[in-house]
Amino acid sequence: MKPVIDLRLCKGCNVCVYICPKKCYSRGAGISELGYYAAVVSAAEKCYNHKREGKLICELCVLSCPDQAISWHPETEEDLKK
Amino acid sequence: MDIFDFYRKDRWPHVFCPGCGNGTVMNCFYRAFSALNLPLDRTAFVGGIGCSSRIPLYISSDALHTTHGRAIAFATGLKLSKPDLKVVVFTGDGDLGAIGGNHFINGCRRNVDMTVICINNNIYGMTGGQASITTPHDFQSTTTPYGNREYPFDLAELAVAAGANYVARWTTRHVHELTKSMKTALQKKGFAFVEVISQCPVNFGRRNKMADPTQMLEWFKESSVRREKVRTAAVDHFDLNMAGQITVGEFVDRNRECYEELIGVEKHG
Amino acid sequence: MKAAKGEFFLQGNEACVEGAIGSGIRFFAGYPITPSTEIAEGLAQRLRGTNGVFLQMEDEIACISAIIGASWGGVKSMTATSGPGFSLMQEAIGYAAMSETPIVIVNVMRGGPSTGQPTRASQGDVMQTKYGSHGDYQVIAFAPASVQEMFDLTVESFNYAEKYRVPAFLLSDAEVGHMRGLLSVPENLKIVDRKEKGIKRADEAYDVPDDLVHPFPTFGKGHKAMITGMTHAEDSRIEPEDVRTHQELVKRLSDKILKNRKDINKWELVSPGSKTMIISYGSSALGPKEVAAKDERVGLLRLKSLWPLPEEPIYEVASQCERILVCEMNLGMMYWPIKRVALEAGCKKVELLSKIGGEPPTPSEVRHKLRGMGAI
Repeated sequence: MKPVIDLRLCKGCNVCVYICPKKCYSRGAGISELGYYAAVVSAAEKCYNHKREGKLICELCVLSCPDQAISWHPETEEDLKK
Repeated sequence: MDIFDFYRKDRWPHVFCPGCGNGTVMNCFYRAFSALNLPLDRTAFVGGIGCSSRIPLYISSDALHTTHGRAIAFATGLKLSKPDLKVVVFTGDGDLGAIGGNHFINGCRRNVDMTVICINNNIYGMTGGQASITTPHDFQSTTTPYGNREYPFDLAELAVAAGANYVARWTTRHVHELTKSMKTALQKKGFAFVEVISQCPVNFGRRNKMADPTQMLEWFKESSVRREKVRTAAVDHFDLNMAGQITVGEFVDRNRECYEELIGVEKHG
Repeated sequence: MKAAKGEFFLQGNEACVEGAIGSGIRFFAGYPITPSTEIAEGLAQRLRGTNGVFLQMEDEIACISAIIGASWGGVKSMTATSGPGFSLMQEAIGYAAMSETPIVIVNVMRGGPSTGQPTRASQGDVMQTKYGSHGDYQVIAFAPASVQEMFDLTVESFNYAEKYRVPAFLLSDAEVGHMRGLLSVPENLKIVDRKEKGIKRADEAYDVPDDLVHPFPTFGKGHKAMITGMTHAEDSRIEPEDVRTHQELVKRLSDKILKNRKDINKWELVSPGSKTMIISYGSSALGPKEVAAKDERVGLLRLKSLWPLPEEPIYEVASQCERILVCEMNLGMMYWPIKRVALEAGCKKVELLSKIGGEPPTPSEVRHKLRGMGAI
């Protein structure tokens, strides 16, 4: 599974960038629709849940995100190749 | 249950500032609640006044948004009049410990079956950053521009002394532990109290050299000490944060008879 | 749990307890305060072993908060207090008005301000009842003058609170509360229950009903009710900054009481059409009643309900008489709204007999005042 940031919800606080132990996130450069510098998932393949199904581990980013903007999505074949 | 079956999606994005810890607590609460498979329609959420007390209004269930400080008194009436209803109170440090201090200690003493989650951000956030009863000594706020002269309350120890059945304190940096404690609290019969030390980067952090929420989370991480590792003699429990320390962990887990059992209201509710 | 039927010799406060039981009270929260304590004591005894809850809270603010919470649990709830406790309750009274919570508050009035005269009667809280909390709101208030009325008007308080989803007040005083007298409990009491919101029609709450009172969404029934003291729209969305929402809400809260005034107001007339009319209420009407009964030149309009102001009977009385004497146990509170209506009706001479200190005005004091006015 891979984490995806919902740009309609992210307020650019960068808690995910700080909290991720594998450094999957990085600070965003562009302004989102909501008017924030939303964070981006820059290295989803480093995530503990990469190629993992069912019960997920870590989840610090999803639990910490103050705006409920991060959720898990199934990985595409392209993601799995990484 | 999906997170937006639990929360009212039409109200998102919520009112909280970027980086506010309330959202983190909402995630953990949703996790704990859905893991226990509790019926949402049979649960009522009560809040007082303040940022954290707005959370009930985002939950897709019955919500009672009450007057400042009285959430526990309202919840007591609601619970006793409808004993089969689960009652959860969301409150903040000012709401619970300052204006509602009397209802808080008497709620613990009376031990009515309810779960109280106090999001303690050490400041009055909604009104713009005035010192609260939990602002650490020497920290700055708009009403203590030269540093806070007073010493803070230790809400968790207060709840223990007043007789709550379950008391735990975590910070928003301890999301997994917090979720677990919320689960225990929701299952506990009697007054269960979970205090969450939370970041208010806008009104607390900004005036105390921690304007970025991540700086505050780092502060929580560095200064948190597990309760079992704290030698009691070395710590003045009422001086939360004074020695640069946040005592976290489960403070008490006991099974005193709850008020409904004592007055026998459950038999005929 | 049922009220005993038949005749009793009781104290006013005890009659209030019986009235509450007869109305089907299921939740009482109280805090000891003279002279209302007998109500809490009575209900502690009467609610024991029933499906009702008696709760002694830590202060009066907690009492009224708890009964509002209980009301949202779907039960009839009440608290009883006196002056200082009543002052503490004011914020939550505004909350109950804003959130449209049916509750009953008994205020056995004592002499104020502050601690004042704990054991003596007064009528100093009549304005606080209506104007004590901040903002515009309307409430329903009754003023009993006998043990029987302590019972009857307690039942009415519950009925009107439930019917209009509003805090209803029983403004008794130490004199009526501690007076002993005959109480006859009728075989069949007329009891009104709140109109509950149906579960199937989710849209029901959005249309404003004719009587301006929305059905009540009891907690725990899947209504997803959002109850708040903040300005909210009809579907309970919070809109604290919206001008129109606030206007519509607060206007409706006032109108639902004011437009139904004829249904709510209660009064008693003794010798209507007299040239001199006394307007009074509660225990201060007892002296005037005796005067009016013995002297055909004097009539009495005794208000059994104070809020909303019974303008129609006052107007009618004022348009037919030459002079009005308002008699009350404060330095003139209901005098002013009564005078306003009387002047509108064309009665120019409206005087006040005020007596404070804990004793209702005696018949001889009333006659003395009337003589001074040239009425007798």
